[in-house]
This record gives sequence, structure tokens and C-alpha cells, in this order.
Amino acid sequence: MNPSHSAPAFDSQELKELKQKLVDGCRILDREGITDSFGHVSLRVPGADAFLTIAGVSPGCATLDRLILLDLDGRYLGGDRNSPYEWPIHACILRARPEVMSVCHTHSKWSALFSVVQGGLKPIHMYAKFLPAAGPPIYRAAGLIGTVERGRALAAALKDSAAVLLRAHGDAVVGASLEQAIQRTIQLAFLGELAHRAVAHGEPLYMSAEELATFSGDPAFPARPWEYYLSRIRERRSS
Amino acid sequence: MASGAKNIPKIDSSELKELIEKLLTACHILDHEGVTDGYGHISVRVPGADAFITIANVSPGCVTRDRLIMQDFDGNHLDGAKTPPNEWPIHSCILKARPEIVSVAHTHSKWSTIFSVLPIKLKPMHHYGKFLSADGPPVYQGVGLVRTVERGEELAAALGKGPAVLMRAHGDAVVGESVEQVIERTTRLAMLGEWNHLALLHGEPKYLTADELKVYNDDQRFPMRGWEYYVSRLAGKR
Repeated sequence: MNPSHSAPAFDSQELKELKQKLVDGCRILDREGITDSFGHVSLRVPGADAFLTIAGVSPGCATLDRLILLDLDGRYLGGDRNSPYEWPIHACILRARPEVMSVCHTHSKWSALFSVVQGGLKPIHMYAKFLPAAGPPIYRAAGLIGTVERGRALAAALKDSAAVLLRAHGDAVVGASLEQAIQRTIQLAFLGELAHRAVAHGEPLYMSAEELATFSGDPAFPARPWEYYLSRIRERRSS
Repeated sequence: MASGAKNIPKIDSSELKELIEKLLTACHILDHEGVTDGYGHISVRVPGADAFITIANVSPGCVTRDRLIMQDFDGNHLDGAKTPPNEWPIHSCILKARPEIVSVAHTHSKWSTIFSVLPIKLKPMHHYGKFLSADGPPVYQGVGLVRTVERGEELAAALGKGPAVLMRAHGDAVVGESVEQVIERTTRLAMLGEWNHLALLHGEPKYLTADELKVYNDDQRFPMRGWEYYVSRLAGKR
């Protein structure tokens, strides 16, 4: 490996804050009802071909000592040795998308649903401003993403989007920060639920590409939603 | 009575301590995950004996160590609380027919009940259904509680070699080679039922085919990750 791309040691002070953020992100997805026993979040180590993720544990049970540091070829660099089976989801997307800092993979009920029904998860709410008007693309192959080949096929399906649905499986959502990836993952589930409920009344009024483009970035992002979601996991921890 | 009955360990023996603890946890998980209500039960086979332990006429959500019962496969009381569950033949008949099975869960899951009375089958449209066949679990059509050995045998025949059977207008019976596996399967069956229900609003979903189901290898850590997760959710609630 190129030394300029090597990651700091797992236990270094440099990674401390990133590790806490990763654990918080995992706990948030659990608290918001997006993940169950499965699912994972990754965080790129800035300036290195490496990422942190959770080591064979539910996001709801993630702790600082159950994280793993891997390089983009899946080689173990530090932490808990229990490598997640689907590490290529993270490695292949982070390699294909240099601007992406974080990837969430979940078995969200709403993503699973729209991965197998006709019509796609089309936006009916402004939260969808990170999605195309036709809804997120769908990776159609059955099977877990346990190989680099499948990871590359998934990254190709994602292409330059913010999210991809995995058929009969769930989703993968990316962000320029962990906070953004978490926020998008929660919003994708919210959008799925809304779209599903709306269809019960007939064909809803979907948003056009032009309409979606009128929504600019939230200037308060990511501080405001992140503060909110953090407050909800802390409330749970103290109860 | 079963041969070797005298060697059967007691419910409070150290030999069964771990298994009993697991059974109690399993009952509380099904309650906490919203699968069982006032009814439903889980059994565990007593290792090496024609006997099983289940909950004695109490909701899985309320079960405690002193409300367990041990019976043989003919329903004779062997140990523990005196009141057997009405439907003990569900457990004895399935455990007798399937020697590899360690644990049986019977629930009135709302999602199993829905698919027990519809012409549409509960088929895998997510890999959580990889333990099922592509055409979904069979349905036991007999109406009425399974309180006799005759009905228990019919139910076991409907289950066949499969992991789960829906019971018409009633619920389901799910089997596993460990308590953890039964819990994983029972919670997954309920999730799949809900997801199938949601998907069908949009028309016929794209189900996984038999060939596609074969693609999923069993994760070696399965089902321990799920078990750890479900146990964590019970924290502070027991």
C-alpha cells in the first residue's frame, strides 16, 4: 500500500472522534427503526484508502470496541476481527466515489418493499431532493454482497446517485459526511412510508425533476437534524 | 411412558439451567417483538429424552421460571407447574415427528393469520425468507385448537419437513434446531408477512425464485447476531 494512503492506527487519538461518530450513527439508525439485527454504517478515514465499520454486530448493539478498520481491499487493519460479511458494499462504493465519506447499508422495510414492487420509490415530499424524480436505482441481483465483484456491480448500479435499493434486501445510501448519510437513510425510509401510504388513495402527485431542483441545500444541515437524532438516542440511554 | 424416563433431569437441575434460561428469554423476546399476545408458547426438547419443557398456561410475556412444565410425548406431567397448555400436542407431535428439531414456537401472529386465510401465499420477497421455500409455508386447514394427538399429528404432517406451517384462522408453528433459530425464524416470518402485505397493495411483487433462494448461504454467525440484538432490546424490561 502507498504509505501516503495508509491509515492511522485503530487505537490512535486521530480516529477517536470518528469512532464515536460512527457508533452514534449506528445507534441512531436503530433508534429510528431503520435497522434490526443487520445493517452497517461505514466511515472513510480521511486521506487514506481505509474505512471504519461495525464488526459483525447489530447497529443497535455497536460499541467503540466492536468496530473494525479495513482497507479498500478488505484487508484487516485494526480493531475487532469480526469482519462484516458484506464489507465490499463499503469498499467498492468508497473506491468508486471519492467524494463519499460514509455509506449506510440497511434492510429498511420501506426500501425492501420498493425494491420488489412496480413503479419505484418516487418522490412525493421535498425530503427527496437528494433523489432523482424516477426514484433511486435498483440493484436487481439476488444474494448478499459478499464479493468484490458484487460490490462493483452494486457501485455501478448506484452510479452517481445518493441511494440505491437492493432487491429483496434493502438499500445503500451515501453521503459527503456520516451525518448526511444517516439523514438520507432516515429520509429514504420516511419517503418510502409516505409513498406507500399515499398509493392506498390512488395515484399521488409525484414531484417532477424541475420541482425537486427548486429545493436548495438546508443551510442548517447537518447540525440541526444530527442534534435532534442524538438527543433521541441519549434520551433512550438514560431511560 | 417413554423409556429411560427415570433419567430425565428435573426442571431445576443444573443440567437444564441454561436451556431454561434461554426458553424464558425466547418467550420474552416474542412478546417484546409483538409476535405473541396473551397466547402462544415455545417448547424445548429435553436433551436425549422423549420429553419437552414449555410454558404452563401463561402468556409468553408473563412467563417465569416457576411457570414452566415438563411433559413426555404422551402429555404426561413429569415436572414443574401442573397446568399444561391446552395445545401441548403441537409440541409433542412435531418433536416426535422431527428428531432433529430442538424447539417449536406456536404463535397467533397477525401476519401468519392473515396469510392463513387468503388465496395469496406468504412467499419470500426478501432474503429474510431464505429459510422458506419459494412457494411459502404450507397451511394447516383444520379449524379448532390442536388439543388432541390426532390433530397434533395432522399438523406435523402439514408441516412436513419444512421450517414453518401456517394454521388457518389461528397462527403458525415454527421449528428450529436451536431456540435462537426458532426465534429468528418466528420474528422473520412475521416481518415477511407484514412486508408481503405492504407489497401486495402495489400489485404482484417480484418474489425470490427457488434458484435465487439457493444463492443465500447461511451466515455462520447466524442466528447469534439476531439473538444478541433481541436480548439487548429486552434490557430493563424483565
